[in-house]
Amino acid sequence: MFLIKKSDVLKLAQELSKDYQVYGPFVEKTSGQAFFDKVADVAEISLSAPIPSNPPKQAVFPQMERILSYRYDAAKKAAEMNPDYKVVPKALFGLRPCDLNGMLCLDRFFMGQEFVDDVYLAHRKSMFIVTNSCTTAFKQCLCVCMDSGPFAKEGFDLNLVDLGDNYLVEAGSDKGKALAEKMGLAAAGDAEAKQKSAALDKAIKTFEPVAIDNKAWISRVINRVTTGFAREDVWEYVGDQCFECGACTFVCPSCSCFNVVDVSSAACDGCTDRLRTWDSCSYEGYARMAGGHNPRKPVEDRRNKRFFCKLSYSQSKKYLRPGCVGCGRCQWVCPGDIGIPNVVTYVRREITKQG
Amino acid sequence: MSEGMINGKIVTIPEIATIEEIKDEIRDVKTFYLKFDRKEINDNLKIMSGQFIMATIFGAGEFAVSLPPSPENDRFHITVRAVGKVTRALHALAVGDKVGIRGPFGNGFPFEELKGKNIVYVAGGIGLIPLRSSIVHVLQHKKDFGDVYVLLGARTPEDHMYKENLKEWQGGVPGFNCFLSVDIETPGWKGEVGFVHTLLDKAKIPIENTVAFVCGPPVMFNTVIGELMKRGLSDENIYSTLERHMKCGIGKCQHCAVGRTLVCTDGPVYTFRQIKTLGEQI
Ligand code: SF4
Ligand code: SF4
Ligand code: FES
Repeated sequence: MFLIKKSDVLKLAQELSKDYQVYGPFVEKTSGQAFFDKVADVAEISLSAPIPSNPPKQAVFPQMERILSYRYDAAKKAAEMNPDYKVVPKALFGLRPCDLNGMLCLDRFFMGQEFVDDVYLAHRKSMFIVTNSCTTAFKQCLCVCMDSGPFAKEGFDLNLVDLGDNYLVEAGSDKGKALAEKMGLAAAGDAEAKQKSAALDKAIKTFEPVAIDNKAWISRVINRVTTGFAREDVWEYVGDQCFECGACTFVCPSCSCFNVVDVSSAACDGCTDRLRTWDSCSYEGYARMAGGHNPRKPVEDRRNKRFFCKLSYSQSKKYLRPGCVGCGRCQWVCPGDIGIPNVVTYVRREITKQG
Repeated sequence: MSEGMINGKIVTIPEIATIEEIKDEIRDVKTFYLKFDRKEINDNLKIMSGQFIMATIFGAGEFAVSLPPSPENDRFHITVRAVGKVTRALHALAVGDKVGIRGPFGNGFPFEELKGKNIVYVAGGIGLIPLRSSIVHVLQHKKDFGDVYVLLGARTPEDHMYKENLKEWQGGVPGFNCFLSVDIETPGWKGEVGFVHTLLDKAKIPIENTVAFVCGPPVMFNTVIGELMKRGLSDENIYSTLERHMKCGIGKCQHCAVGRTLVCTDGPVYTFRQIKTLGEQI
């Protein structure tokens, strides 16, 4: 463990910017809204910004990305494949713990199943992660219900904990430790460890008012959804409320469904790019097959899929944790009022009704 | 193991193959015989009956299609109906043109568990495509299995798939039976008229020690399953392959999700018992 003066903390980002493209949270001047994205100057980064409107997933899983390009010369009957996904090393600076956990879900899903996704791997393996543990809850947060915060536990290179005048800097990897040492950070001791645990206790207290409603119920609801005992009318209600806009999917740090399309490229005659783009299970065309058969036509069949992903044990097995990391963004963005906390409430209401 | 392959599969970058021969099967359906440009791919590709591949038609896109060739002694080929943009682009290709191939993917039929059992194949129309591999394999290894029945229904006699194979399958191999039906009365057709499940009685299929494979359009599928279960076949002895809108084939895009499973990695072969617990439409 190390210490860094608050006023010096962006020096870490500055150092990282020598080897990495730096991403971080910043507050956009005109809207006052926080975003997480590439920064041209590390001075833009605000570690006190509220949870950003967008998750950091575009750094590993861009909204649109070329995963292959190929060239076919129809006259010569010659085809040439070019797996063209050169990636730049990125440093994510000031990632919130929920978003880190979202990325760990994506890691286990893209790299830990039967097949490894080469494109994702290329992005991920050259990445440096600095988390910013939360010492106070924002109004939408429910990480404490989903075991993903408020402090980061694993998966970071460095983790920052706000201790007032200083940040405690915890190294989670050799890479992280090397950077801290290179920067000549002062070592932290027992006193700071105590301060950290006091800060954690205090942070958790601030979550109580926001989380009390769902904390006890999420595991019960996960059980219901997994065993298929969540009642049909809940899904019908949820389906009725859904506008099929896809916003919940795009703001979710652990949602990763994608579509693949081949589009002709201007690079040369006969050149085609294979692009993958974010997709949402809320869209009607999501499961529609060539020829028109659509096994998931009614909106409630599609909606229930998202909540199944987030709230069922079988999906959790792929992520080694619940698929929802409690960032609260879907609740905030959904025009139909069916974010995760609300759906938990609806399922819960049905349970109590049944007695 | 050759470069670009993992366990006999082409996972990420399509391998280039040349169309060697094109055969018209039925209306809108053609078979394409393919040969990989790299010899080590031809030599090392590992096929299991019931699997599928992802085919790239250059400039048009990629689609999933089930593999009809048997695991051994069969030319590599795919049989495709022109239904969408990409499959129509394939149909427009000629001998000598190139395509890209990834795969084979998916679980395949559990032949080891089926040794010694009677097998009933029930197919509606192009539902025979995903079953062909398994039928050819079982015929080659007939002594390992009990009695085999292939029941194929189609709208008209012209719509019967794989006519050359059908001739062979009807050729009187002991214990290997093949029955055909058509949905509508057709001049010149002397065989059975009626939906394919009417063949179950005609063929007098056994129920004891029997497994069934059913493939076809959803309506046909549901009727045949109902008829089989009415006759006493249990849902764990009925297999099918599910079709989904697949985009990656390797368990990542999630377009093929059915209940808690992904058709591309957990399927496409499921027992009817599994299908029932997935809680989704066929
Ligand atoms: S489901 Fe909602 S609350 Fe949970 S991680 Fe996704 S966006 Fe955040
Ligand atoms: S944000 Fe709400 S309305 Fe939009 S697709 Fe998601 S659940 Fe439906
Ligand atoms: S086809 Fe992409 S996950 Fe199955």
